[in-house]
Amino acid sequence: MEMRISFHEELAQLEESLQVESQLVLRSIRGATECVVSQDVELADEVIAFDDEIDGSCTEVMQGVELLLARQTPVAGDLRLALSVLYSNLHLERMGDQCTTIAKLTKLAADLPPDQQLLDGFREMGERAEEMTRVAMLSLHNRDGALAESLMDLDELIDRANKRVVGRVLELGQTNLEWGIRMILVSRCFERIGDNAVDIGEQTSYLVTGDFREFTDASH
Amino acid sequence: MNDLVPGAAVEGTVLYHGQNLYAGSVDPVEVRRRIGMVFQKPNPFPKSIYDNIAFGPRVLGLKDDLDGRVERALRSAALWDEIRDRLKDNALGLSGGQQQRLCIARALAVEPDVILMDEPASALDPISTTRIEDLMHELKDRYTIVIVTHNMQQAARVADRTAFFSVEVQDDGSRRNGILVEYDVTSKIFTNPSDQRTEDYVTGRFG
Repeated sequence: MEMRISFHEELAQLEESLQVESQLVLRSIRGATECVVSQDVELADEVIAFDDEIDGSCTEVMQGVELLLARQTPVAGDLRLALSVLYSNLHLERMGDQCTTIAKLTKLAADLPPDQQLLDGFREMGERAEEMTRVAMLSLHNRDGALAESLMDLDELIDRANKRVVGRVLELGQTNLEWGIRMILVSRCFERIGDNAVDIGEQTSYLVTGDFREFTDASH
Repeated sequence: MNDLVPGAAVEGTVLYHGQNLYAGSVDPVEVRRRIGMVFQKPNPFPKSIYDNIAFGPRVLGLKDDLDGRVERALRSAALWDEIRDRLKDNALGLSGGQQQRLCIARALAVEPDVILMDEPASALDPISTTRIEDLMHELKDRYTIVIVTHNMQQAARVADRTAFFSVEVQDDGSRRNGILVEYDVTSKIFTNPSDQRTEDYVTGRFG
């Protein structure tokens, strides 16, 4: 006989809220990518304003988990799910912040001469960041540890793209120096979103196996 | 106790230092000296506090320094400071939580190896429950404590190792067999149990 029905509904609801929050983050990543690639200052302002929605959702999920821990003392799989939701929620919030930073950097660099090759690279990085976020959330939803581990390979691609950016900025030389420095930070933000997606994948792995572990060591 | 239940049957052995406790040759008095018991409902004898504690030692002929033995048992059960001036009072005048600690002291007075506690706090208020649990933490260094509890959070709080028992009912309903589902360190049972039936039970998915 199923017991504690309202508790399990609450927990499922929290997980659903997290998935909805990830949709907001995906919109934010797309907006951030679009505004930096198009040098679109108005869109940048929208992305910045939109982050309050993500933060609001993050706070709600956090309060929900707090209440659940206080009132229901979840254990075993329920406890692992509550913790996975809590941690993944923070990673999503960080992703939103990275998007905000990209938007702010876009505004700072708006009047400087851009480099098309780097902008094309950012479109690719943005798409990869979106893809990784989708894969991370799907792995959590489907309790799919193998899918979660596939994020490591995806992260490798975004890391490589990030490493190429510095070289390109050096090639550009003095005329694009300030723009280039700002774009190194943009690139770093995309790369961090990828890392956050891997972190969510690690939560999937914890949820499934019960073991806390990093997919890779700090040297990566 | 099982002998009093019609149709109850026990198979297998319960080993205590290699000795089967169900063997015919076992002396029940010796078993009770080595394995103390505390029950769900506090059950002091209708005697003085002192006589409750002294009862076991007297029966077993442990009469040297009886006063010291009574004091040590009451101190171990964290009751001494509350009742040191009332040792001649009737034990039934104590509060429920005090009565239960008296029963623990009574079990300790004969210096057993093992203390069986059957739902020792289920009839007590939350503060008395906490005192019993604190006491278990203190006593576990010197005694092996086996506690039966239906309160899973209590098991999670007090136990180093947890066993989950359940019942298997035969399809035709003719027999109900108690079974040990899983036995492991408590942290494992409550974060990542190995058996799905344990998971279902501790998370309240079946009851």
